[in-house]
Amino acid sequence: MIGVVQALDAARGITDRGFTFVGAAGPGQDVTLSFDDLRRESLRRASHLRAMGLAKGDRLALVIPEGEDFIPTFLGALWLGVVPVPLYPPLSLGKLDAFMDALVGILNVAQPKALVTNERIGKVLWSAVGKVPTLERVILTSELRAGIAAIDPPPHPADDDLAFLQFTSGSTSAPKGVMVTHGNLKANTKAILHDGLQWRPGDVTISWLPLYHDMGLIGMVLCPVVVHMPAVYIPTLSFIKNATVWMETMHKHGGTLTFAPNFAYALVTKRARPEQIARWNLSRMRLFGCGAEPIHPDTIRAFLAAFAKAGLRPTTFMPSYGMAEATLAMSFTRLGDPFKTDRIDPERYHGDKKAAPSANGVAMEIVCCGRAFPDHELSIQDDDGRLLPDRCVGEICFRGPSVTAGYWKNPEATRAAGLGKPGGWLRTGDLGYMASGELYVSGRLKDILIVNGRNYYPQRIEWAVEELPGVRRGSTVVFSRPGKASEEVVVALETRERDPEKLRAAIVAKVSEDLQLAVADVALVPPGSIPKTSSGKLQRRKTREMYLRGTLGREGARVPGAMGNRLLAAKHLAYSLVGRARHEARGLMRKLTGA
Amino acid sequence: MPATIDVVEMFKQAALEVDNRKLPQLSRETVIATLGMDSVAIMELVSYFEEKLSVRIPDEELGRIRTVGDLRDTIARLLPPGTQVAA
Repeated sequence: MIGVVQALDAARGITDRGFTFVGAAGPGQDVTLSFDDLRRESLRRASHLRAMGLAKGDRLALVIPEGEDFIPTFLGALWLGVVPVPLYPPLSLGKLDAFMDALVGILNVAQPKALVTNERIGKVLWSAVGKVPTLERVILTSELRAGIAAIDPPPHPADDDLAFLQFTSGSTSAPKGVMVTHGNLKANTKAILHDGLQWRPGDVTISWLPLYHDMGLIGMVLCPVVVHMPAVYIPTLSFIKNATVWMETMHKHGGTLTFAPNFAYALVTKRARPEQIARWNLSRMRLFGCGAEPIHPDTIRAFLAAFAKAGLRPTTFMPSYGMAEATLAMSFTRLGDPFKTDRIDPERYHGDKKAAPSANGVAMEIVCCGRAFPDHELSIQDDDGRLLPDRCVGEICFRGPSVTAGYWKNPEATRAAGLGKPGGWLRTGDLGYMASGELYVSGRLKDILIVNGRNYYPQRIEWAVEELPGVRRGSTVVFSRPGKASEEVVVALETRERDPEKLRAAIVAKVSEDLQLAVADVALVPPGSIPKTSSGKLQRRKTREMYLRGTLGREGARVPGAMGNRLLAAKHLAYSLVGRARHEARGLMRKLTGA
Repeated sequence: MPATIDVVEMFKQAALEVDNRKLPQLSRETVIATLGMDSVAIMELVSYFEEKLSVRIPDEELGRIRTVGDLRDTIARLLPPGTQVAA
């Protein structure tokens, strides 16, 4: 096992391979930094940061979309013992206000001393800077590029030292920063490289993943640093605008490894034209990894079928499971195994929480996510922490040296997730089951929606909907339903609105505008339809289950109390009186007409 | 003589091709974020304009584009001088 900083230090003299940044010097013009360049540039940036007054333990926020600036700044900070906090840049249409709110929320938890960004983003960030008291300065990437002598390499960090903070995206109310230590990185990069990717000399990584996200940063940057593996980076926005650049880059640079969430496989299958596929040679690719959001079997089968003509072998597709709280990865399927799913009986799954193989045609298809790697363990547990046997559905738990130290300055959330105890089980909040040592992820306990690889808290969406005129507070529940490309957002709302189409359109527009999320369905139901707890809180999971079974709004959800029972009795009495009147009227009519 | 570029009409076509979405009511004043498209679909739509018109909208300008009219004005600035762009 080797640490990231140790490996970077050992890169001295490696000039024949390194990191390539697609289009970094203008359209069609790439920039390559050899590992020797990367080591020197990281030390130079560390020198700048130290001269600017940053020292071990200080947090440094990074809002840098360009990989060629992000990576050496991140590594330089790591080497100095400064704790980087990677954050997503404002790169979507018309979303500056929402971006600023989220940014200020995270910065006030992380309390960084400085923030690094580029000139263009710097212009718009100033309004946020004023709202973060700890922030002493904004550093522009141009300042870090300016000449300064590299410092002598600082000592390598210890395993217990904090490496960086990984903020989980989505919530502005209480953003949580996962504390990743150097020891966590050592353990997880080793597992990814040796047990997952089965790394070998000659491998080339291709990635368009954002660098502020665990899969892009740890999987696609730090893993290559650890074994000095060449990597090619495509700007995330270039991929989103035109997904085929991903395959084009694999073809052009002889890529062998890549990773992406499910939605990316759907997007590239939709976008690639037959003549492009015929031109590409993807036969060198050893691995297409998939993680970060639920994997949809039909999406993957369509992807494998479409790209077979480019020489893609179906056994190169590798589902995986992970999350930031476990550094990154928790399980992989075995490279070379065919894509495997399990078909289970939905009635038994929902009824007695068993994953029984489906006997008839009706089945839920669940993707196999493989096994835990050496020194780590996966288990399925019930609410009280008891281990469950094979094919029993419960919470997925994980332990081993990749489990992180907890959330930054948030002991309550740290305890709730089972973090911060050496050798303790991380409670993932995901539902699943094991079968013959292999993990199947089938659902979620925690209230999170994952759309296009990004996490969203349903509360945020509910608040947005409840700001609309005519919508009562506490009448809205938001959850996701499975979709082919990614999860889809569903809004369920209790209302007596007379113009449902108008309300639906208003909800779609509001959620789209505030969160840039597409609402797939708005379920307007009569008051009393959404299940509540005894204390009157709406039950998201139960509502979702009813929605998926098609029973939401069709049956009374709330158990009536004493008063409710009396009302119910009165209602039935009224119905029966009306029925009797009708019956008598019909009899009278028959008599009169002689029918 | 080159035909006049009508961004509103192109937008309707792009939404149909990228997101299978019909937008008969679209106008200059429409706020793009209220159309119910997710962020990935919106960026694909931007790319549609870039490809068809051979322009490149700088990343940092994206955050300022709210309405279809904003998009039209940004594109009009990037096109070669003399290109006819409908209001």
